[in-house]
Amino acid sequence: VNQVFESVAKKYDVMNDSMTLGIHRVWKDILMHKMNPCPGTLLLDVAGGTGDIAFRFINYVRSVRQRQLQRKLKHHQNLSWQEIFESYQKDEFNSLGDSQVVVCDINREMLKVGKQKAQHLGYSEGLSWVLGNAEELPFDDDKFDVYTIAFGIRNVTRIDLALQEAYRVLKPGGRFLCLEFSHVSNPLLSRLYDLYSFQVIPVLGEVIAGDWKSYQYLVESIRQFPPQEELKAMIEDAGFFKVDYENLNFGIVAIHSGFKL
Amino acid sequence: CQYYPPRRALQASAMLRRASDEHKKEPLTSSSQQHFDSPPADHQPEEKPQGPRPSYTGQGGQESEDYESEEQLQHRILTAALEFVPEHGWTAEAIAEGAKTLGLSVAAAGMFHSDGSELILHFVSECNSKLSELMEKEQKLVQLGEAEKKPIDEFLRDAVEARLRMLIPYIEKWPQALSILLLPRNIPSSLNLLTSMIDDIWHYAGDQSTDFNWYTRRAVLTGIYNTTELVMMQDSSPGFEDTWRFLENRVADAMTMSNTASQVQSTGEAVVQGLMGAAVTVSNAESSRAVR
Repeated sequence: VNQVFESVAKKYDVMNDSMTLGIHRVWKDILMHKMNPCPGTLLLDVAGGTGDIAFRFINYVRSVRQRQLQRKLKHHQNLSWQEIFESYQKDEFNSLGDSQVVVCDINREMLKVGKQKAQHLGYSEGLSWVLGNAEELPFDDDKFDVYTIAFGIRNVTRIDLALQEAYRVLKPGGRFLCLEFSHVSNPLLSRLYDLYSFQVIPVLGEVIAGDWKSYQYLVESIRQFPPQEELKAMIEDAGFFKVDYENLNFGIVAIHSGFKL
Repeated sequence: CQYYPPRRALQASAMLRRASDEHKKEPLTSSSQQHFDSPPADHQPEEKPQGPRPSYTGQGGQESEDYESEEQLQHRILTAALEFVPEHGWTAEAIAEGAKTLGLSVAAAGMFHSDGSELILHFVSECNSKLSELMEKEQKLVQLGEAEKKPIDEFLRDAVEARLRMLIPYIEKWPQALSILLLPRNIPSSLNLLTSMIDDIWHYAGDQSTDFNWYTRRAVLTGIYNTTELVMMQDSSPGFEDTWRFLENRVADAMTMSNTASQVQSTGEAVVQGLMGAAVTVSNAESSRAVR
């Protein structure tokens, strides 16, 4: 698995766009809306290599924080100029509201690409990049508010271990969110999807990234991955409550959510 | 070989509750909270790793009284969140703050819908329970002969006033709540809560009739309640005295109405009045919210 990602790291984003025709951006946006984080949230994004989820998180939290500050200022209509000046000085004007995201990935190359992207796009505060294995996270217990793993869990060898680690590092009340390719039940769509996956994607892989094999592996790993209900059962086994999933695009992708209660 | 998933209750929340027992505030209603107010000695989640699984898995009815189910935890979070409503409104933010006071992560607010509907419905149902308790107590006093049985108009007035007074701490954000309750998604639940409250009031008022009058009385009282609530939203008089006077007049009208022969017509009028008032006020509330 490590080798696959070393070779695809640089072209990862381009391939994502071409394979999914750009829809992956929408999927990740939907994930963020479902999370609906408020300022002060600590997010752990596992297998988040190139930072897509992390950047969206920062944008979301920033806009929520803006609205919060606007509302606060409206309430303070009667302040003197001195008091307004002081409130700007204080941490209240902290634009992320103490939210932070830690991006963890097993692959150094992916993290490198992510850091470069962050610099390029101008994301500086609230981001950390950590090298780590989803089956054995280098973090203490009860640390994070939200744990996300977007298109990463199918690359984990022991999914149950990853789920247990997710449970461990989450705070009580914390949320587990998993965005992953899943099972399409509609038979017609399923045939079209198979056709697209096996005929078009490896070709795109060869043309764009110069790597047929990795994308062949990708498509096969999607087929091997447990379907929605099975994954839901595995999440429940790890100890999560209120486990639910939402199908996007008829099951091509599914978001699973669970809480540590 | 078979893998039996470990059965345990909400470990994390149970341990948190023990740890924060000293900091726990008095819950708004005591009836549903009686299970957890038991002393810490009853909770031993570490020593008994096997516990009943909460009901969501469909093994319904296996919760023992020592362990908390998801619904009960959600109930506690919503109750804690009410404190933050005056500041944040009926939103997911208020729920997140509520979860924080219970020692849970702010992400727990994700369990609820992002527009805050559950919080409002929870509040309404809590208020209705409180009202029922009040009326129950009053009835007991009457039965014991310690109090006089009130005439119907006075009883209705007092009941509606008592119920509306529960809105006072949240009155600024209540228009927002009303508009959310009117969303198509929430109408079944909110209507349900409203009609059961009205039924409750009539029950304690001494109404035992099952003829067509029952519908009339229900509709009339619903009309009185809704219009008074809307008047209250826009009332700026000290102590809401304008509202209570309005209420008095409406109840008096209803009493005289019931003595005339044109009952069915009046019911229609009452309902239409109620709806018109509701529509006007909500649209005012919406436009003022949009301007803000």
